[in-house]
Amino acid sequence: MHLPDGIVPVEMALAGYGASAALAALALARVKALPDPQAEIPRVAMLTTVFFAASLVAVPVPPVSVHLMLGGLMGVMLGWFSVPAILVGLFLQAVLFGHGGITTLGLNGMIFCLPALMAFGLWQLAGRRWPDLVALAAGSGAVLMALAIFAAIVLVGLPVVVDAGAERVALSIFLIAHLPLAMAEGVIVMTLLRVLRRVEPRLLPHG
Amino acid sequence: MFPRPRLAGITFAIAGLLAPSAAFSHAALIEAETAQAIRLHAYYDTGTPMADAQVIIYAPDRPAVPWGQGNTDSEGRFTFIPDTVEGRWSVQVRQAGHGAMAHIELHGETATVLAPTVAAGSWVQRAVMVALVAWGALGTALFVLRRKGRPDASA
Repeated sequence: MHLPDGIVPVEMALAGYGASAALAALALARVKALPDPQAEIPRVAMLTTVFFAASLVAVPVPPVSVHLMLGGLMGVMLGWFSVPAILVGLFLQAVLFGHGGITTLGLNGMIFCLPALMAFGLWQLAGRRWPDLVALAAGSGAVLMALAIFAAIVLVGLPVVVDAGAERVALSIFLIAHLPLAMAEGVIVMTLLRVLRRVEPRLLPHG
Repeated sequence: MFPRPRLAGITFAIAGLLAPSAAFSHAALIEAETAQAIRLHAYYDTGTPMADAQVIIYAPDRPAVPWGQGNTDSEGRFTFIPDTVEGRWSVQVRQAGHGAMAHIELHGETATVLAPTVAAGSWVQRAVMVALVAWGALGTALFVLRRKGRPDASA
């Protein structure tokens, strides 16, 4: 679910860069305020790599195929660190795999970072009390939120020459095909946190 | 004045000439000629064809105004015949917020596809790229920690 080059108008792409830059600045300011931000770097590096590679895992959901997003996992595990981590991962995906465009990097940043921060907020709010339920909701909710932002950007940026009706139908099929992914990502976040609680609690989120 | 039998013969002859022309006035005609066509194949990097995707074609002389539009078939294929305008033709195929742009340089009888827009690559190449990124990310992280005097990630 990456916007490629040439799909949205230039003005929207520039606005996306502006919004992502503002979000990154806010996130870095929050990271800087942490007691020992450098201690988090190995976790950030590891999860950036996981996020980067996840887009290669394609699951066929006829008539389309979907790939893992892991925005919820990034948000729960990394908190504000998830913003720079996701932006770096998206840049590498665009350059090395052609997943998403360079001009749309800012918009793709918003599609992935905002759901990650939502998942982080959810985890901080109730993660200690109901870890499994919140992990499930954070993973699934992040996918659903990303889908909503993606669809809104595509529809707002639809050029006049494009058949809007046909694009809406195609977009609906695309969104429905991602519903199983939303469930799957919820289960992934829940399972991973359970495993970490047993095996390596030091890697758990500190929310 | 013509004698009666001769007049009848002339009348039949005129009728005989007119009748075929009246019968062929709505006839279908075909003129065939060869032309240089451009054939596209649009698909996702998973190999799934972009079936029934929208195709927008831009001619070199008016790059902001669509020259033609259409839809791919069930296999993601689309064929069009550009007119004689030479230069860079651009074709966008899009569907559900995804898509790609192809550029074709047309000069006389020669057509050159300038840039394939899908950055594909074999699974081996992709695995190597993932490994290199992992190595770079984790290596950098450990290097930063080591400079701070932390021997490992768990410190």
